[in-house]
Amino acid sequence: MKEKKENNKAMQNTSGSCQNGNCSCGDGYQQTLNKKSDRRGMLKKLTMGLLTGAGMVNSACSITASDEDKEKSQLDWESFFQGNYQLMTEDEKKKTVERLERSYELNHGRHPDISAKGPEKDVLYGYAFNISKCRGYMDCVNACVQENNQDRDTQMQYIRIHEHKNGQINFELAEDNYFHEVPAEGHFYMGTQCFHCENPPCVKVCPVEATWKEKDGIVVVDYDWCIGCRYCMAACPYDGRRFNWQTPEVPEEEVNLNQHYLGNRLRKKGVMEKCTFCIQRSREGKNPACVEACPTGARIFGNLLDPNSEIRWVLANKKVFRLKEDLGTEPKFWYFMD
Amino acid sequence: MKNCYTNFLSAICLFIVPLMLFEACSGSHEEGAGHESLLETIKRKEKDSIENDVNLHELMRDVKKVLAEVPESERQFYVLERKSELKSFPCTNCHNVPLSSLQSDFAKQQKKKAHWEIELVHANKDIMDCNTCHDQNDLNSLVLLNGKKVDFDQSFKQCAQCHSTQYNDWLGGAHGKRVLGWADPKVIYNCVNCHVPHEPALPTRWPARLNTAKLKERQSDEN
Repeated sequence: MKEKKENNKAMQNTSGSCQNGNCSCGDGYQQTLNKKSDRRGMLKKLTMGLLTGAGMVNSACSITASDEDKEKSQLDWESFFQGNYQLMTEDEKKKTVERLERSYELNHGRHPDISAKGPEKDVLYGYAFNISKCRGYMDCVNACVQENNQDRDTQMQYIRIHEHKNGQINFELAEDNYFHEVPAEGHFYMGTQCFHCENPPCVKVCPVEATWKEKDGIVVVDYDWCIGCRYCMAACPYDGRRFNWQTPEVPEEEVNLNQHYLGNRLRKKGVMEKCTFCIQRSREGKNPACVEACPTGARIFGNLLDPNSEIRWVLANKKVFRLKEDLGTEPKFWYFMD
Repeated sequence: MKNCYTNFLSAICLFIVPLMLFEACSGSHEEGAGHESLLETIKRKEKDSIENDVNLHELMRDVKKVLAEVPESERQFYVLERKSELKSFPCTNCHNVPLSSLQSDFAKQQKKKAHWEIELVHANKDIMDCNTCHDQNDLNSLVLLNGKKVDFDQSFKQCAQCHSTQYNDWLGGAHGKRVLGWADPKVIYNCVNCHVPHEPALPTRWPARLNTAKLKERQSDEN
């Protein structure tokens, strides 16, 4: 308590000194802008800034560094000025993707195929999950981890399979880490992942517009623009988002080289990621890896704008429901029963 | 000076604010955000003929498929071909003589015993036996309850006789699976691609993965 009081006193003292205009109080840019700096201090800062920049350019222009090293630092330098993906022209997207491919090749010796393919016309993706069919086999989770280059060390997984007792859907009472043969007597299974809401709260809260909804309904993250504040993680009512607490570890031989800029390309420490309906697959007309891997046919994926699609048949003929529908998030992920 | 300021303010009120309001309103109509529900959006944007270049024709080229014989369905679709998967098809390779003579050959130990491992775990024994599906007179094809022959590739017709609910779901897309993807051409798994016809129930088994971190945690708790 005493310390707190002293702190408060100190605060009052500094706010008092604000009146003369030269202070380091306030927050954000005011701290820097309101501060009067003397000529020597200014010079010091300028030199420091220049040195950091020069360090990066140094190896790029050095005579002694090898060509590969030069190219690496050149690519690093360019990545420093990469803009927001949403604002890039098609040409800029292509160049960015090529740079990422080259950079991976230089560092890991293998050439990934990173796509920047945009949304197709007349497509809005939707997903349906049959809770009477799912048997808790978890093949979907394995396929998802493999397809999307998820961190093996922290066992990051986009999909959760919840084991519910018959007669109740209560996620607090559900068992998410079952250790027995499945399906267990008197239980049913329910998978959750990112629901790709049509009205996504995670997108609204992002302070830097690093996450958005694409025209085909997929909610994506620009891993190079994300600042890792995790507001979106807090805003998501469905536990759909994951954070990289450490640099993701994927054994080189297991890396899926068929990648998309907004999808399964390798992430870094301190950025958000999540299910993208396997954007690298779905935009090619394929099913997401979880749908492909499910041996029970519990997972149905398709185009909501095509009245002849399977997903539309399910919506029209089955009794479907969505989670927390009252929130108005409009998930494009429905559950149904046989 | 004050006059100038009020003029400026009134200019904002008169022109810019109504303009902003108009923009906001028209924007929300176009985007369908806010008060339009997802189902309304889907209804508004749906197309009878989808115009885009996504298709799986190239990937499907190597997939063995046959056109499904479904007169009641308006849309054509394929099912996975079955016959090439059967180990000793055509059955007449062995079944070129009546069953009784094959049995006597076996008794004389001239032929190997075949199909001995098959146990029928499908419906009640009073209801089903081998002859319910296999045509005794022509083992190369299956037979329906009314005596009509069915090709092995179209075996879903066989299942549809009893499992009509599942069959309707399969036709619509709520049961079974699409091969490769959601785009055209539509190829779906035949019933027998997932269900062993002689023992169609799916087995219980261990999950493909376990949460090993949680496992360790539990073990240390127990210790």
